[in-house]
Amino acid sequence: MPKIICVTACPTGIAHTYIAAEMLSHTGKKMGYVMKVETNGAIGVENKLSETDIKEAIGVIIASDVALDLKRFEGLNMIEITTQEAIKTPEKWIKEIIKMSQGL
Amino acid sequence: MEIAKMIKKAYMNLELKSDSKAQVLEELVKILDNAGIVTDFEKLLNDVRIRESLSTTGIGFKIAIPHAKSKYIKEPAIAFGRSNEGIEYDSMDGENAHLFFLICMPEDAGNLHLKALTALSRQLIHEEFRLALEKAENEQEVLNIIKAIDQEEIRA
Repeated sequence: MPKIICVTACPTGIAHTYIAAEMLSHTGKKMGYVMKVETNGAIGVENKLSETDIKEAIGVIIASDVALDLKRFEGLNMIEITTQEAIKTPEKWIKEIIKMSQGL
Repeated sequence: MEIAKMIKKAYMNLELKSDSKAQVLEELVKILDNAGIVTDFEKLLNDVRIRESLSTTGIGFKIAIPHAKSKYIKEPAIAFGRSNEGIEYDSMDGENAHLFFLICMPEDAGNLHLKALTALSRQLIHEEFRLALEKAENEQEVLNIIKAIDQEEIRA
């Protein structure tokens, strides 16, 4: 199964980071993808994406309300959205990243 | 255990009276103030409002989770409120909010508390959890539903 990776982050790092992560992960799995979501919250980074994750992924969804260093994802299909957008329409962004990975 | 430590029956109001977002924020902070764990009501309310001004915490699915890290709360606490009619809350899906979790963390909150919160946040998107909260007949039932999250975390 193709793998999609995500990173979520928000200003206080106690709520939206995790809700967005859960929405993306839950929705993606239902659609038949392997999902790995790194959270950058008040606890720090959890479920950190490894180099292998990045290499294997068909694309990365960044759902963040704060600036993140995205250098490690260079060359990978990427969508940048807010946590709000991820919570509201997770399916839309997953479809979008799949389209990008298919070169559409 | 952690979530259950942050939320008590005294921190619940199953019949919120507010009919606007501004009012409900005040009503929720007041619950914690009445419970004696707020050092400055106005300032805590202000911290909650500041977070709210960054982006709405009305996440849709009838849920709002106003929150703040604040000097003016004595211990990590979650106030739970419910409104049967729903309250206009500038929610992401445009619908009224019915279930409210006001999360207040002292600035030096430990990781255990934060981890517990992540567990709560993750549960919120699941329909069974929300329906159970909507149907709960009293504070004890709400508490039991929330305690179940902690158990789920242990299993996970």
